Amino acid sequence: MRVLLVEDDADMAASLKASLTADEHDVEIAGDGELGESMALNGGFDVIVLDRMLPKKIGTDVIKDLREQGLSTPVLMLSALHDEDHRVEGLEAGANDYLGKPYSTRELLARVKALWNGRDRDAQTRLQVGDLEMDLLARTVKRGGKKLDLQPREFRLLEYLMRNSGQTVTRKMLLENVWDYHFDPQTNVIDVHISRLRSKIDRDFGQSLLHTVRGSGYRLEA
Amino acid sequence: MRPSLALLRTTTFRLALVQAGIVLLFVVALLIYLYVATIGQLNADSDVLAEQEYAALESAYGEGGMRRLNQEVVERAARQGPLLYVLAESNGTVITGDFPQLPTVPVGEAIEQVDFSFERTDEGGGGERGRARGQVGRLLNGPILLVARDLGDTALIAGRITRALWTVAALGLISSLAIGLIGAWLASRRVEALTNTTRDVMAGDLTRRAPVRGDDDEWDELGHAINAMLDRLERLMHISRTAGDAIAHDLRSPLTRFRHRLESALDAEPDTDADREALRKALEEADRLLDMFAAVLKLARVESNPDWRFQRIDATEQLRELVDFYEPAAEEQGRTLRGEVADGLVLNGEPGLFAQAVSNLIENALKYTPEGGRIEIRAVRRQDGRIEITVSDDGPGIPLADRERVLERFVRLESARSTPGAGLGLSLVAAVARLHRGGLHLRDGLGDDNHRGLGAALVLPAIDAAAAR
Repeated sequence: MRVLLVEDDADMAASLKASLTADEHDVEIAGDGELGESMALNGGFDVIVLDRMLPKKIGTDVIKDLREQGLSTPVLMLSALHDEDHRVEGLEAGANDYLGKPYSTRELLARVKALWNGRDRDAQTRLQVGDLEMDLLARTVKRGGKKLDLQPREFRLLEYLMRNSGQTVTRKMLLENVWDYHFDPQTNVIDVHISRLRSKIDRDFGQSLLHTVRGSGYRLEA
Repeated sequence: MRPSLALLRTTTFRLALVQAGIVLLFVVALLIYLYVATIGQLNADSDVLAEQEYAALESAYGEGGMRRLNQEVVERAARQGPLLYVLAESNGTVITGDFPQLPTVPVGEAIEQVDFSFERTDEGGGGERGRARGQVGRLLNGPILLVARDLGDTALIAGRITRALWTVAALGLISSLAIGLIGAWLASRRVEALTNTTRDVMAGDLTRRAPVRGDDDEWDELGHAINAMLDRLERLMHISRTAGDAIAHDLRSPLTRFRHRLESALDAEPDTDADREALRKALEEADRLLDMFAAVLKLARVESNPDWRFQRIDATEQLRELVDFYEPAAEEQGRTLRGEVADGLVLNGEPGLFAQAVSNLIENALKYTPEGGRIEIRAVRRQDGRIEITVSDDGPGIPLADRERVLERFVRLESARSTPGAGLGLSLVAAVARLHRGGLHLRDGLGDDNHRGLGAALVLPAIDAAAAR
């Protein structure tokens, strides 16, 4: 995947580039907003990682202009300002996801991938991972042809995991996207929800689909 | 403040000066009116009367000569009336009339208007002073004829009124200046008290408060407003001071551990597994530090009252979701979590902060309730129209004496030292409650005897569910 990283802190940019490269992405760096914007328009990138506070042109302005010029490349905005108001502002400007600093590199990598995977998510009405099937219109889930009885919350949790199948999904991503909570529970709430879901989709079947990624989150994979 | 000069510069005194000026203007206008209405009119009447009389006598002289004129003057002077007559020879020797001597008036060839004071003996033999106004002139062949009107009592009264008015004007002027000075002095004393208060506060004494007399006047209102501001200022100063101390204190241990782990890993012989473990632990420590900073920053932001985007929150839905969210975790830990949320609870607030505040209360209960314990979330609309969300547990509770204290930031009771956390949970809830014009109250929980368990009640103003739609 070709990633454009717009970040003015050279150390930070170099370290992020190393992590993204290690995750098998092609990375190019822009050091300010104006350069970032022109590179985004001409470079044919798959995902843009855009810092909010940038010299010459701030991130929110860059993204507004990119969207006005018809560029639909998914954008992950990074910022030290990440209260609800700031997130709303960033998302309204046109960002697809918003990650507050400080973040872990794993979180960033997971979100970059999720952005790429989620490009056409709205068009899909059926999701499939291995023998697990979800019908979004009928709101049914089957595994190996057997109907599974999921509660609404479990359904949404599984939907998010299926849409991002094959890649790591962090607890924070689940909290934000499934529950719309923007705080960190100190208790292991997410793990419990996952374990309940796992017991429904994996327990009676030979092969496990839902895997725990130690220290990061979970992955749904056939 | 130097009282003497400063007093003269006060607004109250300036107002008094303006008031004195207005009094003066009013008195002058009154005087002018009084003059025109009394003396002016009197003079005009006198002039007409004297003119007619003079003309009548002049024609009598023309018809019957000196004898006739003399007779006329004698007859007219004898009548009791306001008019005075004098007929004198051309050298000024009085022939007949009301005065034995010609009053001192200029006598020329032409008829002249005169206005003079006179003195004469009255019937009782006493002296009589008066003022008169009329015409004097020489007739054909030289005799002098004076016809005047005695202005008498009217002029006297007008004079007295005029003097009285000038006296009143002077008194008015002096008293308005005096009132101004006294008012300015009183006002300046209260201003001085406020100035002294602010000066003391600026010098660092945040406990000083503006005096309030209890008169419920505008000064009291100003005093109350300043005091409310100082209360808030003092609280914020206290918060930032204790926060600074607490951060320095609470971060020292994790930072030392962090440093120690890295140092030990560097000093030890290279060992991939041990190094990775050291790094992992250091990372955990760093995450904890970052969490703590994030919590401090969030608390600071809530407390400094910026413009949060308030919107309609369906508290019923949010609370049921939160119960739904935490219920499995509680069950997993061997605790029961029950929710009893009334329908139609709606409030105006910041959804993220609201959810976080309630979640902090639930997590607190989960953290301190022993295995097998109970946690109950009740949300009702109270009679006073406010929403009360109570998270109660049957854990160890908080002693009465500590209940206020735990709402301050970084306060962790000794009994909680063994559990993770920074002591910011409840202070954030309290701050969120204040931001929403509500409060957080700690009570007894679900325990059997009096001081067992904790009940944390978040009380927030509701909006009418029907009106909010």
